[in-house]
Amino acid sequence: MNAALEHPTTVQGLQRHKSPAAILRRLLKNRYVLYLVSISGLLLIWHFSAVNFATSKYMPTPWMVLKELWRIAHENLAGKDLLGHLWSSLHRVLIGFAIGSAVGVPLGLFMALNRYINNLVKPVFDLIKPMPPISWISLAILWFGIGEESKVFIIAIGAFVPALINSYNGIRLVDPALYDAIRMLGANRWQTMMEVTFPAGFPALFAGLQISLSVAWSCVLAAELVSARSGMGFLIILGMTMSNPSMILSGMVVIAVTAYLITVVLSKVEKWVCPWKVELPQ
Amino acid sequence: MTAETVKIECRNVSKIFKQRAGTVQIPVLDDISLRVLENEFLVIVGPGQCGKTTLLRIIAGFETPTAGHVLLDGKEISGPGPDRGMVFQKYTLFPWRTVMANVEMGLKLRGMAKKERREIAGHYIQLVGLQGFEKAYPHELSGGMKQRVGIARAYANDPKVLLLDEPFGQLDAQTRYLMEQETARIWSAEKKTVIFVTNSIDEAVYLADRIITLEGKLPGRVKSSYTVHLPRPREHIDKKFLELRHQITEETELLL
Repeated sequence: MNAALEHPTTVQGLQRHKSPAAILRRLLKNRYVLYLVSISGLLLIWHFSAVNFATSKYMPTPWMVLKELWRIAHENLAGKDLLGHLWSSLHRVLIGFAIGSAVGVPLGLFMALNRYINNLVKPVFDLIKPMPPISWISLAILWFGIGEESKVFIIAIGAFVPALINSYNGIRLVDPALYDAIRMLGANRWQTMMEVTFPAGFPALFAGLQISLSVAWSCVLAAELVSARSGMGFLIILGMTMSNPSMILSGMVVIAVTAYLITVVLSKVEKWVCPWKVELPQ
Repeated sequence: MTAETVKIECRNVSKIFKQRAGTVQIPVLDDISLRVLENEFLVIVGPGQCGKTTLLRIIAGFETPTAGHVLLDGKEISGPGPDRGMVFQKYTLFPWRTVMANVEMGLKLRGMAKKERREIAGHYIQLVGLQGFEKAYPHELSGGMKQRVGIARAYANDPKVLLLDEPFGQLDAQTRYLMEQETARIWSAEKKTVIFVTNSIDEAVYLADRIITLEGKLPGRVKSSYTVHLPRPREHIDKKFLELRHQITEETELLL
């Protein structure tokens, strides 16, 4: 203490460091602390509303949902366990997404590159674009039955729209100066396309595919809610018919986590295929 | 030295830009005639909006003149081509390509084998002082470094004429000064016919064998021409340097 008094600056420094307000300020600057506060706050509010309020009959606590998650992960539900149902949904998403983007991306590219194709396709596309993909569901069932095909159809339509829009815009918004540069170096039309048009449009195209995939994921759930014998949407409906809200919430959690993981994987893929892309600071 | 060979010739070049409706016509260049000799460093000076970039883009082949002709080695040019290399004001590097891949792009387009073009590109990367940055992407470089890549890219393609469009306009004063020195050094190391467009009289006097000034308003016309006899490397504070700079400034009404 005496030694500290002889160095007033040190004392001040120590005091400032140790005062509760300062500690709080330091903690609040750490974003992970706030993340933790945010998540535990949600769980707490959830828990107490489930315990105290009138909706509690159909509002399980977080702990109940966790237990339910454990149960359905191991139990057979209409022929499949949780992972089985998850795979059913993912399977549909992958096929529908593949079809939708396989049609949407090249069509968007051709529209951007060729005025005639653009003028032919654009009016029709502008009509389809604002229709929510789920609005096709009744027609899809009439056309394809209640099997896999109708679900894949909805997903493909959902994935098709953003895939087309983004590849179209990606190519059209290429900096014209880059075309000057490549022509100056002696590129012919084909080389110009391979060296400038496609790589320059690629980030936008890839962003479109990411949107496509998340649209596909919400489409599969909608399709399964209407009619299905498997999949995450079916699991949620099963929870409803069995008056088991824990099961519904478990399904929702799994759906959210899966969607999140898909985004993470895609951004890793993007970093791998476009290493030149500048990352935005958080 | 074949000092008297004419490399580029502009004969009575005029350019009128038409607005979309076709009713408004903006004359940008009026009856420009000039000659650039082989291995000559020609600097075209003029203020903003005087048509100097348009003139360079016509010589590059990006724009066609409304009247007149541009000849390279006596043959009229049609469209851009690898015989004219350009360094752009806004760098215009390919962001998805590394420094090495940017510099060797022209050679790659020509179908040159990888080993050979690596060697040539490596030489020019060294010439502009970027050895060690071969694998960097453009977004990892500073403005001055980007423009070094632009110069190396144009050089590596071995064009007959090098066109530089206000290449240092976006750099800070210090870097700009350094890049002027570097440009003079690179040009001395590997002579080329150069047309360099700038709005800086100081830059022009530092670099040029010959300076052409354009009038300060549209349409652009050639105002006067100066031959710079100063020995290289030049000094910005040399008496004769300052005299010439002063003379051009007086005669062009440019406040630069």
